[in-house]
Amino acid sequence: MDSPTSSLRISDQSRRGFAALARKIIGQYGLLIILFIITFAFSLLRPAFWSINNQINIVFASSLIGIMAVCSTFVVLTRGIDISVGSTVALSGLVAALILESDGTLFIPSILAGLAASAVVGLANGLAISYLGLPPIVVTLAALTIVRGVALLIGGSILHLIREPAEFLFIGGGRVLGVPFPIFIFFAIAALMLFIQVRTQLGLTVFAIGVNERAATLCGLPVRFVKLLVYLISSLGAGIAGIVLASQVSTASANYGNALELDVIAAIVVGGTSLNGGQGSVHRSVLGALLIAAVNNGLSILNVSTDQQLIAKGAIIVIAIVLGYWLQEWSERL
Amino acid sequence: MEDSVVLRADSLSKRYGAVQALKNVSITLYAGQTHALVGSNGAGKSTLVKILTGAVVPDSGTIEINGKPMPVGDPRTALDAGIACIYQWPNLVAELSVADNIMLGHHPTNAFGIVNRKVQRRWVRNLLEKHNLQLDLDAPVGSLSSVQQKEVEIAKALSLDASVILMDEPTAALSHSEVEKLFRSIEQLCQQGVAVLYISHILDEIFRVAQRVTVLRDGQLRLSAAAADLTKASLVDAMLGRELSSEVGQAKPQDQVDRPVVLECRNLNKEGVFSNISFKVHEGEILCITGLVGAKRSELVRAIFGADPADGGELWLWGKQVRIRHPLDAIRLGIGFVPEDRHQDGLFMQLSIGLNTIMSSLNRVTKAGLLHPGLMRIAADEQIGKMEIVPAIADYPVKNLSGGNQQKVQLGRWLMGNTRLLILDEPTVGIDIGTKASIYRLLRDLASNGTPVIVVSSDIEEVLTIADRIIVMADGHITGTYVRGFVTQEQILAAASGEMN
Repeated sequence: MDSPTSSLRISDQSRRGFAALARKIIGQYGLLIILFIITFAFSLLRPAFWSINNQINIVFASSLIGIMAVCSTFVVLTRGIDISVGSTVALSGLVAALILESDGTLFIPSILAGLAASAVVGLANGLAISYLGLPPIVVTLAALTIVRGVALLIGGSILHLIREPAEFLFIGGGRVLGVPFPIFIFFAIAALMLFIQVRTQLGLTVFAIGVNERAATLCGLPVRFVKLLVYLISSLGAGIAGIVLASQVSTASANYGNALELDVIAAIVVGGTSLNGGQGSVHRSVLGALLIAAVNNGLSILNVSTDQQLIAKGAIIVIAIVLGYWLQEWSERL
Repeated sequence: MEDSVVLRADSLSKRYGAVQALKNVSITLYAGQTHALVGSNGAGKSTLVKILTGAVVPDSGTIEINGKPMPVGDPRTALDAGIACIYQWPNLVAELSVADNIMLGHHPTNAFGIVNRKVQRRWVRNLLEKHNLQLDLDAPVGSLSSVQQKEVEIAKALSLDASVILMDEPTAALSHSEVEKLFRSIEQLCQQGVAVLYISHILDEIFRVAQRVTVLRDGQLRLSAAAADLTKASLVDAMLGRELSSEVGQAKPQDQVDRPVVLECRNLNKEGVFSNISFKVHEGEILCITGLVGAKRSELVRAIFGADPADGGELWLWGKQVRIRHPLDAIRLGIGFVPEDRHQDGLFMQLSIGLNTIMSSLNRVTKAGLLHPGLMRIAADEQIGKMEIVPAIADYPVKNLSGGNQQKVQLGRWLMGNTRLLILDEPTVGIDIGTKASIYRLLRDLASNGTPVIVVSSDIEEVLTIADRIIVMADGHITGTYVRGFVTQEQILAAASGEMN
């Protein structure tokens, strides 16, 4: 599995020769191979799938889940889970929309307020989990319903239209060089998170906690503070996604983002990050999000009905996880 | 009592990787006799026990029970053949009653598979009466004293018609008066014709309870004789050997007390754990804290390190009072800690040697706020070289290393930081004799270079080998403080069992 050891590689004496190299590549990039196979299969069935436009559509569709998944990966790496992100999406979009409703010129403040609202959720989650020692699933489950409730309280169950400013609508709907802007946001955040993972003490501590939290504490690593941070980052990711979503559909509602947390966790797990912590990587979550989006898109192009799509999607997720795991095992066996 | 052989194990051998845990060991148990199995930690006692109970498959050797060969390596076969084992720690369900625990797994049931409580009670009562054990059938096991729990385990073994009962350090968790009670139970067992294999490293117990004694050292049989023909001295010689003590450079113990005090504990207290702990650690010395299991030695050092802080008392470091509420505080003050359980508390098993060594000194490999790969590599290689870790590959996962090399990784981690006081909890448990010697040498070097070392150890041989001064704890108190060369094994054992000196 990936670990931050890549930056500490001295010599690879254990693996030599072409066959060994091939195994290693398959182990590292197995997910990418699965993604290619799926793309190839859909393209054979429907050549339209292969078009540049459709490929961009897939990446575009993955960007919302992708932003959330790369920001939530650290949580999973520390052996935690954050299921409050779906509700947080609704809250941050709604807060931004309400501010813009009062005054359409408050572009920056509306974004900051949306992010601040999500940060409050992250801080509350993080404090309860790291300093009070409560189980992540319970804390974030509570947050899931509380945050949804708060969103309904401040926004009601109606749709809030966002008409201006143009800058805000550009975030989710704009294009740069013909490429939708959310894709840039997604890749920028993914690159930032990957950098944090590989090159900072925070990233290394995240792995240390996931592998052995007690040892991390006895090593003097700031375990509780880092756990607080990872939940904050996860919520901020949801906050950003909430703003992107509100901008994209130029509305906000307390009901947005429902069950999105499941897609986020699916993307992380399909990517190969272990729910047992300590194994995985941000870049894998990117691939996981792309894979799920490709499957969704392909099934739609094939005109599969929604009910069948859901079933097929679940099956493909399981197959991808099992296949990825097998490839990994196989490449590590020598 | 006639000398009828119950169990005969012949030339058992077992190798774990590079470590020969057991080499050509034979042992014979007779009905109605208690046979003591003696040896220091790592001598091969538990490997032998595991082979006899079928938990481990020997590389070679045979076991015969009541004259018939027994297939090795199958726990169920061993149990059916009448070999039962009572472990150091109770293997009982605290919430269930005495009767339920005794019958666990073989309850008398009716046609529907439902436990017939009436039959069970009658059966258990008869069993206890036959063996003179006085236990309340309905009391939950969790409410019983340690020695009563041992009796429940004995009854459980008897309920399975055990003809051989292995007891692995059964007195480890018992108080002095309870030990005597356990011995009477063992005598009862022998009168019923059961053969007992009694594993211990406490000499007085052995002469009290055993008719025959077998000594293991480094996995080999060193002595097997009738207890009546042995003296404590001959037993100690067989147990310890003398090669080790010459391995380690000797410092003159008396000068250390004049040296500057590095750490001083004043009246450390932790409610219900330890109380009134006061001692000093001087520059350049190795201080050993020893005692029986349950003496709260680990708890004490964990408190000093801030892992489980004490409730009261003062800590002084280099003449200044300090507050340590968290390991971070201790590390900032230059204290390093190697915990007892390297799997659970010490190492990041899935990560590489390199990452494990740098984990407590990340600031040293950070430049401009970012981890610096070059610095990481240099720091890791330096420790791998200094510690002579094999293989010397920074990317090699720690989980694939031998126990001794894993321990070196832990040591290297603290030697990389600015450690000015190192605490180690049972640093050589499960480590081969060669690595042990090199760890002792490292600790001695460290001490001679000024960094004092506190070693918690229950291995008396180890304590007598490496300590400049020895603190003995029993039941959360200090019961003795000694200087090396002025103390005998017997004095330490007496203090460890709670006798104040």
